[in-house]
Amino acid sequence: METKAPDALDAGPPCGSVFVGDRWRRSPLTERLKGAGVKILFDSELGLADFYLPNRICIVYVSERDVVAGQDYKRKLVRYRNAGGRLQELVLVETTRLSEQHFAAVQRFVVLDLGLTLLPVGSQTDAAQLIAQIVHGEGRENPFARRSSSRLLDPLVLALVQQVPGVGKVKALALLQHFSSIRQLCNADAVELEAIVGHVVAQQIHSFFHEPTGPG
Amino acid sequence: VKQDVSGSESPASVCILVDSRCISSGVELMTVLRQRHAATIHVCSLDGSYFIVSNRMAVERHSQSDLAVMQNRKRLVERVNSLQGLFDRICLIVEKDRTKPGEASRPFQRTRFFDSTLAGLVRTGIRLLWSSGAEESAGLLADLARLEQRKGQGIAVPLEVKGQHGQQALQMYLSLPSVSYAHALNLSHNFKSIAHLMNSSIEAIQKGGCMSRSRAEEIYHFLRYSCDPFLVNTSKGRKTS
Repeated sequence: METKAPDALDAGPPCGSVFVGDRWRRSPLTERLKGAGVKILFDSELGLADFYLPNRICIVYVSERDVVAGQDYKRKLVRYRNAGGRLQELVLVETTRLSEQHFAAVQRFVVLDLGLTLLPVGSQTDAAQLIAQIVHGEGRENPFARRSSSRLLDPLVLALVQQVPGVGKVKALALLQHFSSIRQLCNADAVELEAIVGHVVAQQIHSFFHEPTGPG
Repeated sequence: VKQDVSGSESPASVCILVDSRCISSGVELMTVLRQRHAATIHVCSLDGSYFIVSNRMAVERHSQSDLAVMQNRKRLVERVNSLQGLFDRICLIVEKDRTKPGEASRPFQRTRFFDSTLAGLVRTGIRLLWSSGAEESAGLLADLARLEQRKGQGIAVPLEVKGQHGQQALQMYLSLPSVSYAHALNLSHNFKSIAHLMNSSIEAIQKGGCMSRSRAEEIYHFLRYSCDPFLVNTSKGRKTS
């Protein structure tokens, strides 16, 4: 299916530019993209996608006409999904007054059946603005990017020990002086606990950890 | 609120956990979920107003204008980041803004800021679904839950735990790092006692919690983490209750 070496497409266009399929020459979308400062590189061998963006994103544009006409775009999207490989595949769906009634069905097919990402656009102008944001966004920090949590665990351990009935902050701290981990505390026998928190609470702690909670 | 969860599950029935804060804003949605989609719903207290549709997926509803207004960005980022810690998959249902009865619906003004928000979300792997209102959102939630169930990720344990001790254990599991309400329910039902979990292998935690390997590893190491009494002592001012 692919007429170009997949590796070349996988590498994607340089930063700030987009590979655009030939059929988009002189389209409003391409003109708007240029206007938004995106560099256009036309390519007649893009395969199934309409656009390739930097950082492994490719896009298929499903027009109002495609949606209203029905089945053809579905076959194309299935092939698109199967050829995708390591790229993130987006589907822009032109949602207008005319095509709106079909949107729920299109979404079900694209997102739930095929597992692709769908972004509705009202027109080619909308699409150009969105593509420009994705291209320009590559240079900026993504606020939603997953941050590796390097939280301090000690306060979390303290909070967890205080979940044990009868144990407040003072007793929790005293227990953690003797048993440094939660597991050690859990495996301590009642006599060991008694020396720190007294008979009653020691029994409470022991039974809290060992009493059945579920069928196992 | 309660529905019968003791009966054997019919294949079409899906389980959805709902934060109590979703009720006031989602009466219509909940009604449709129960009546038309025969979903088993359990209202509980989550750390934000979202839905849990499987062992690994959370779903939040946002209005289009939520994503389009700069003032909301910080809150949205915080919400997404906190969900990322608890769930492997996150889905946002973006709903058209509601119009008051008699008011003409205004076309949504698509801003550059809205598009940059979408770009950021998509690049992070957040799933997006688009909805025209509460009724459609209910259908999407049911569809997601069903899809997850087909993939073997549906919540298969009862949505409630019985007895005071069961409740206390559930609360303790919820205070483990990176453990969602769904994981905590699984741990509650799949381990005999808290001590049983504490002394289990990574593999057993992964299986019993219905969670990813990395999450199970995190729990395993947390339970064995050796506290520094000095650090514990100086951590005043943090919320511990």
